[in-house]
Amino acid sequence: MSAALPPAAAAPQGNGLTELLGGLLPDGLPFWALALTGAVVSFAIIFAFIAVLAMFATWLERKVAGHIQVRYGPMRTGAWHGWAQALADGVKLLIKEDLVLTSADKPLFKLAPMVVLSTALAAFVALPFGPNAIVADLDLGIYFIIAISSITTFGVIMAGWGSNNKWSLYGAMREAAQVASYEIPLGLSLMMPVMYFGSLSLNHAGAMQSGWYGMHWYVFSDAFWIAIPSFALFFTAALAETKRAPFDLPESESELVAGFHTEYSGIRFAFFFMEEYAAMYLMSAVGTALWFGAWNFPGLSLLEGTVLHAPLAVAAFVTKSLLLVFVMMWVRWTVPRIRIDQVMALGYKYLTPLCLLMILLAASWEWVKAIAFGA
Amino acid sequence: MANSTKDPALRAGERLVELDVRTQDVEINMGPQHPATHGVLRVLLRADGEILTGAQSHLGYLHRCAEKIGEKVDWLQYLPYTDRYDYLSAMNNNLAYSLAVEKLLGVEAPERAQFIRVILAELNRIASHLVAVGTYGMDIGAFTPFFYALRERELLLDIFEKICGARLTYSYIRPGGLMNDAPAGWLEQVKAFTELFDKKWGEYWDLLVDSKIFVERTANVGVVSEELALAWGCSGPMLRGSGVDWDLRRDAPHLVYDRLDFEVIVGRGYRGTVGDCFDRNYVRMYEMVQSNRMIRQCLEQIEDGEVQHPDVGLLLRPAPGEAYVGIENPRGELGHYLVSDGSKIARRLRVRGPSFCNLAVAEHLLPGCMLADAAAIIGSVDIVIGETDR
Amino acid sequence: MATLQEPAAPASDRSYWGNVWHAVKSTAVGMGITFRYLWTKPFTTQYPDERLPVDGRYRGIHYLEQDLCIYCQACAKACPVDCIDMGAQRHGKELEWEFFSIDYQKCMFCELCVYPCPKDCIHMGEQYSLVTEDKSDFLLELTSWQGLTEEQKLRIAEAEAAKAAKKAAAAKAKAAKEAAEAAAEPAEPEEGKE
Ligand code: SF4
Ligand code: SF4
Repeated sequence: MSAALPPAAAAPQGNGLTELLGGLLPDGLPFWALALTGAVVSFAIIFAFIAVLAMFATWLERKVAGHIQVRYGPMRTGAWHGWAQALADGVKLLIKEDLVLTSADKPLFKLAPMVVLSTALAAFVALPFGPNAIVADLDLGIYFIIAISSITTFGVIMAGWGSNNKWSLYGAMREAAQVASYEIPLGLSLMMPVMYFGSLSLNHAGAMQSGWYGMHWYVFSDAFWIAIPSFALFFTAALAETKRAPFDLPESESELVAGFHTEYSGIRFAFFFMEEYAAMYLMSAVGTALWFGAWNFPGLSLLEGTVLHAPLAVAAFVTKSLLLVFVMMWVRWTVPRIRIDQVMALGYKYLTPLCLLMILLAASWEWVKAIAFGA
Repeated sequence: MANSTKDPALRAGERLVELDVRTQDVEINMGPQHPATHGVLRVLLRADGEILTGAQSHLGYLHRCAEKIGEKVDWLQYLPYTDRYDYLSAMNNNLAYSLAVEKLLGVEAPERAQFIRVILAELNRIASHLVAVGTYGMDIGAFTPFFYALRERELLLDIFEKICGARLTYSYIRPGGLMNDAPAGWLEQVKAFTELFDKKWGEYWDLLVDSKIFVERTANVGVVSEELALAWGCSGPMLRGSGVDWDLRRDAPHLVYDRLDFEVIVGRGYRGTVGDCFDRNYVRMYEMVQSNRMIRQCLEQIEDGEVQHPDVGLLLRPAPGEAYVGIENPRGELGHYLVSDGSKIARRLRVRGPSFCNLAVAEHLLPGCMLADAAAIIGSVDIVIGETDR
Repeated sequence: MATLQEPAAPASDRSYWGNVWHAVKSTAVGMGITFRYLWTKPFTTQYPDERLPVDGRYRGIHYLEQDLCIYCQACAKACPVDCIDMGAQRHGKELEWEFFSIDYQKCMFCELCVYPCPKDCIHMGEQYSLVTEDKSDFLLELTSWQGLTEEQKLRIAEAEAAKAAKKAAAAKAKAAKEAAEAAAEPAEPEEGKE
């Protein structure tokens, strides 16, 4: 990522990447050429990032699962704690036979993994990895991410239907029901930080949390008593949104064998796999950006203007997000899976009302602040 | 949450399936290769969306003619075959068979052998329940408790390996006593385990059984009422989970069980209705504690002595006659009905397997539940396919 | 919380806030347990590199003390699955071994063949991993030699020499006796000679 970083002195509200490219490319290029180059470069960067991330996360997941379960996890591939396991798996998946069932609905079957992965890729566009290290600094960044990441559901439904397998179909139906109902609490839980920051832009939220020598995170702010429960709500909804345990019903392996991707193998399966980790990272990154200070950490402001500033900011952001990814794994290897009607009940009877309550509290708090301090 | 089990009709085991819109049901094959069927059980499910409307189990994928083999090999040679029907509690199977043959022979094992038998049977009950609880956690999506349970089971297998040399198929308890005496240091190893186990037990409870999701998934699900359990001939935790106070260790005293102080755990609707999946699991959890307690008492009472009846050798020729002995296997009543014609080979050998009888009721529970409950209910019956199919 | 004593009263609080509290608390407790184990040393071993010692009574692949075995077939008869097969020629007291094999595709390591052995010469060893690509490799030969050993040949020769010597001595004694008898009763016919 750091290659694409603009100098720290770049305009704070601009689109970092496009500006950078504008500086590198010869002058006088038409806008579409600039936009196309930007798109290709950002796609390459994001894809590479997701591929590496998926590999690292697979390895991490196995190690975390292993050590939680008093065993080692992969130890053989690669010299140190099986670090090359994910690489080997990736190669294996790439060279595996590309199996398409004769009874499958072939266009849907083939399209599904692409839809799933491309939406995950698209959502990364609005993630602020550092101040201005963002592909497209949208004013509606949060809205964009929520909107585009729910398109994944279509891919999953296509996969489930196209596989022509009853278990897959069950997985797809569950995904549809689950995601449709968890969009609500997910969106609502994001309203608390949005209200606090007064903006839907993630970059703006990150910049707002840079005070107090980099510790003015939302969870440490005056509204911490709203931030902490709202993060819990967001995190629960995010788990459901990304199909992670205890909400892994679409693929619940003890019930549906492997759910919607039962019939997939090889590179198509790898796409689903990458999407899962990309979505996990995406949700963690949103959580980091809004609740845990985005790229800010104590001491970062001291480096303002130096070469180190941007790389360290990105590193801080990625590390914080990966910590949340780790928490997702930790949860997965702790709790059982809930049933589909309970998923619905939790979504509609617990998360949504609690979110609304939190919104009420957050709004009152903003109002109280406005009255008391006249802000 | 899902089933309004306060309805008396439901508590009697009947399921009311209300459908608003008539649609075509889908038939799904759960098994013979499915992660939640614990082996090669095949359940043909009929479902209306997530709600099951019918279920039928198909058995026999693991049929190995154990009973017929029993009529072809001599009395002692059948012992290894008993290991193989319920392979998670082979010691109890050995014990059940040996007691039946001893009844035919009219002998009783020496006292030390009886104590060691009880220790082994209870250790094996713990090992078996550990797998039952652990895999049940896995059925409903929690993987980690399974590994913790297997960790303690591994220590038990080490104990078994030390006394008989095998880790799963022991063939150790034999008619007339035991294959050989416990090696030096074995009783101390058992004692160390009992102390450790009491500490580890809480982990399974806190991590799995007390987990809110586990409670939600199991409480009020798959309710087997007392009448239903009795009508279908359930036994073991399946019966006790339904609140029937019936345990062969206490009610048909054999070995030295009458000298031990223990409680029979019965389900009492700790988190929901009496006889739900949670209660069956609850019974298993606390039975482990009671077994541990029994082992500790045995270790205090055991004395030195012979471990094999002097008149019972390797080649047995029981007098003509018949005998039935049922004992409390971890899964319920495991009975052997033997007919001897005075030769060295059984005339007739018949096994009453607990998981076979317990499984029968599952078909009755599934309609009306959700698809995910199928895994929870079948798992709570704790079947071992080796035994249902024999 | 877990207690080894059965809890006194059923706990079925299902109120709204009760549910929320139970969910949060039990998940936190569970995550505490798993987090603790994340940092403890794993219980498993790295199998092929690191093998746990097996106990003295371990029932692994058999081994045979061939020089003690008397080819009585008792072990083969005791085996429930008839997987022991053996063949040998008897030369007086000595055995010329052809084979003594156990088919490990059938063997279930039940140890029933060990008990009836009159010479206590078949045992179960400590080896357990029979990994092969060819099923016929499971037919293991337990004898360490076939045919006759030098020692056995020597003993047979000795035994034969002793026999011959005995025979010669007997013949000599007989001849002497006959001679004596012939001297006493010349008309008696010859008898009992093989
Ligand atoms: S261990 Fe059992 S099966 Fe194997 S050879 Fe001996 S008697 Fe036969
Ligand atoms: S029983 Fe013992 S002596 Fe007889 S054949 Fe077998 S190994 Fe040899």
